[in-house]
Amino acid sequence: MTDTAGELFERLGEAGHMPLMKQTSGTMLFELLGGRRIERWRVIVKRGQVSVARGNGPADCVLRADRKLFTRMAAGRVNAFAAVLRGEVTVEGDPRLLVLFQRLLPGPRS
Amino acid sequence: MNDGLVKILDGNTFVVSDDRGDIEASLTDPTGLFSYDTRFLSKWILTIDDQRLNALSVDDLQYFETRFFLVPGMGTVYVDAKLSVIRQRAVANGFHEVLTILNHDEKPVKLRVRIEAACDFADLFEVKDALKKKGRYTRKAERGTLRLGYERKTYKRSTLITSTKRAKVDENGLSFEVKLPAHGKWRTELNVVVEIPGFGELESQERVRRRTMESNLERWVAGAPRIECDWEPLKRTYRRSLVDLAALRFAPPVTGGHSLPAAGLPWFMTMFGRDSIFTSLQALPFTPELAATTLLALGEWQGTRLDDFRDEDPGRILHELRYGELTAFEERPHSPYYGNADATPLYVVLLDEYERWTGDRKLVRDLEFEARAALNWIDEYADLQGNGYVWYRRRNEETGLENQCWKDSWDSISYRDGRLPGFPRATAELQGYAYDAKLRGARLARTVWKDHDFAGELERQAADLKRRFNRDFWVDDAGYFALALDLEGKQVDALASNNGHLLWSGIVDKSKAKSVVRHLMGPRLFSGWGVRTLAEGEARFNPIGYHVGTVWPFDNSFIAWGLRRYGFKDEAAAIAAGILDAAEFFDGRLPEAFGGYQREQTKYPVQYPTACSPQAWSTGTPLLLLRTMLGLEPLGDHLVVDPALPAEIGHLELLDIPGRWGRVDAFGRGRVDVRGPR
Repeated sequence: MTDTAGELFERLGEAGHMPLMKQTSGTMLFELLGGRRIERWRVIVKRGQVSVARGNGPADCVLRADRKLFTRMAAGRVNAFAAVLRGEVTVEGDPRLLVLFQRLLPGPRS
Repeated sequence: MNDGLVKILDGNTFVVSDDRGDIEASLTDPTGLFSYDTRFLSKWILTIDDQRLNALSVDDLQYFETRFFLVPGMGTVYVDAKLSVIRQRAVANGFHEVLTILNHDEKPVKLRVRIEAACDFADLFEVKDALKKKGRYTRKAERGTLRLGYERKTYKRSTLITSTKRAKVDENGLSFEVKLPAHGKWRTELNVVVEIPGFGELESQERVRRRTMESNLERWVAGAPRIECDWEPLKRTYRRSLVDLAALRFAPPVTGGHSLPAAGLPWFMTMFGRDSIFTSLQALPFTPELAATTLLALGEWQGTRLDDFRDEDPGRILHELRYGELTAFEERPHSPYYGNADATPLYVVLLDEYERWTGDRKLVRDLEFEARAALNWIDEYADLQGNGYVWYRRRNEETGLENQCWKDSWDSISYRDGRLPGFPRATAELQGYAYDAKLRGARLARTVWKDHDFAGELERQAADLKRRFNRDFWVDDAGYFALALDLEGKQVDALASNNGHLLWSGIVDKSKAKSVVRHLMGPRLFSGWGVRTLAEGEARFNPIGYHVGTVWPFDNSFIAWGLRRYGFKDEAAAIAAGILDAAEFFDGRLPEAFGGYQREQTKYPVQYPTACSPQAWSTGTPLLLLRTMLGLEPLGDHLVVDPALPAEIGHLELLDIPGRWGRVDAFGRGRVDVRGPR
C-alpha cells in the first residue's frame, strides 16, 4: 500500500546521503495514528546517511501525529514546526531532530 | 532599573515584576512570567493579613536571580517594622521563589499569608499589539497544587504552582495560616512550572542548565579577555557587557544545548538571524564560541523551499523564530519567518571572520553546504530585478515585513524629500554585505573547500558588483552613496548611516572614501555621541524617530570598524569616544537607540522611549569598539595590534585575547584628540 506518507518515507530511504543532515545522527520514530492501527516508521540518520525502516524500534525522538495530518505535512501543505507548537504533532525526546527532519519535507509551492 | 521594573531571565524564560516582586499585568503590559513567547503568569500578588507589602530594597543577585526585601504596610513614611518579608526568586523552568517571613517582635503572631495567581496565556505578540484570545481557560485546585491552563483545540499551555509548606489552595491562589513565635521565622518554597505538552524534553534540559548556570557566569567572565584601563567607566562598561551578553545567551531546545545570543529583553528573547550574527561578529575577539553556535543553529534552520507565507527561499537564513500561540495557528509567520535580505550574506561574512580569528577549519568544512546555499541565494533568489543587486519585496503581504534590512520600520527608506519608494527596494548596505560575502566566500573556497573555480567566479562577481555599485549608487552632486535604488533603478537619495556599513564591507572605491567619511563625521550625521541613522536636513529626519534620526550604538560600532578598514583611525576613535561616553550615562548598559540631538544641546544622551534593554547588539557594541580602538586584526596566525585611542582613555590593556594564536595581549595609549575639528 502506498500513500503520501509511505511514499515520503520510501523516497527518504532511497535518497541515501543528505548533505542537509550531515551533522546529524539519531533515530526518529514516527507513529501515525488513525483508523484501528498505528503505522510506525523509523528514520535513521548517521552523519547524513539516511535509511528508513518500517515498524517499531529504539529511537531518540518519537513523533506522533494523525495520519491524515502527516500526509498533508509530507506533501508540504502543513508546516511541521507550527503543527508541533499547536500540539497536533507531539514530540517526545530530542526536538532538534524534528527541525532537521522538516527541512527534508517539500514546501507549499512544490 | 530605570523603569521601576525588575527583570530576571534565563534563556527565553523571564520574569518582569514590580519592585515588590508582584505581578499585576494588563493585556498590553509586558510584566509577568514569560516562556517560549507566552505569558505563563499574569498575576502574582503577595499579601499579609490582606495588605500589600512595601519594598525596602531589591538585591539583584544574578541576571537570573533577585531578592526583594519587604515590610507590611503601604503608602506611609513609617512602616511597621515588626515583620520582614524576603522573596528570593530565581528563573528556572518557570521560577522558584523562597518566601521567608521574620517576626522581630517579642510576641508571637498569627498571619494570613496569601498569594493571588492568575494567567492570561498571552502570546508576546498579543501583548505588543493588544489582541484578543480565542481559546478557553481552566483553573484546577487539587491536592495542594494549582494548575492554570489554556486550551485552543490541540494547543495546550499550563502553569503548575506548588508550595513546600502546606497551603490551602483555591482557584485564585494559595493561602497559609502562619503562626510565628517571638523572633521566629517561617519559610516556604514556591514553584511555578511552565508546561508545554508534546514539545520534547524541555524540562530536563532546563534543569541541567539551572544547575550549571551560576558557575557558567563566572566561567564565562573569566574566559573572556581581561581589561586594564586608566579610565574606570570603560572597565565598568566592559564588565556590564560581558554579564549582559551572558544573560542574553540562550539555548533553544533545537540547538542541542549550545547557546547563542538572543536579540533583547523583553520582546526579543529568541533567535534572530541578523541580531545573532551582528552580535557574534562584535563578540568574536572575546567569546568566539558564540559565533560557532550561531552559525550551527542558523544553518540548521536555513531555508530549503519556497514558502510565501514565511518568505522562505532555499538558502535563506531565518529572520525570527517564535513559539507562541499566534505562530502555532499561523496567524503570524514566525515558524520561522525568513523575511530579511541581510542575514544570508552576513552568514558567510561571519563564517569567514570566525575562521580568520579561530582557525577552526573544521566548522568551515562542516558548513560548506550551508555557506554555498547562502551564496547561491544572493544570485538565485535575492536578485528580484535580474540586474545583479540584492532586492527585497515581501511575498507575505499581510504579516510579512516591508523593510527587510536592519532599518525595518515602515518609513526608514526615503528620498531626500521624504517620499517613500515602491517595492522591490535594493538598499545600499545589502550590496556591501553581498560583495563582502562573495570575497570571503572566495577565500573559504580557495583555502578550505579547495574549489578554485568557484573562488575565481565569486571574485569576478564581487569585482563586477563593486564597479556597478560605485557607479549606480553614488550620488554625484553630493558625494555619498544613496540609501537605496528604487524599482526603476533610480537613487533613493537620502543621506543615511548606511554609508558607514559600506566602508565596513569594503565595497567603497578608495577614491570615494574620503568624501563618505566627511559626511559621516559632518554635523548632519555626527551628533557628538555618534552617527545618526538619517542625516539632519532630510525631510523625514526626526531625532527621536526609530530609524530616521536616532543614534544606534550597534550601527556606530560597525561604522567605526568601517572607518578603520579604510584607514580613518582618528574618526573611528571619535565614534568610540562618543558611544562609550554615552554608555557611562546608562551605567555601562547601552540602550538599543538614543536620541539624535546634538551633544551640546542635551549634554546627556536621551534614551529612545520603548527601546529594549539589554539589547544584544548594543551589549556587543563596547566589545567591537575595543577591537576598533586597539586596531585588532588577524593576519595569518598572528594578531596585529594598531591602537588609535581617544586621549581620555589613557592607558588600555586587553589581556589574553583568544584566537588561532593562542592567547595574546594588546596594549594602547590614548593619543587621539577626539574633540578637535574633524
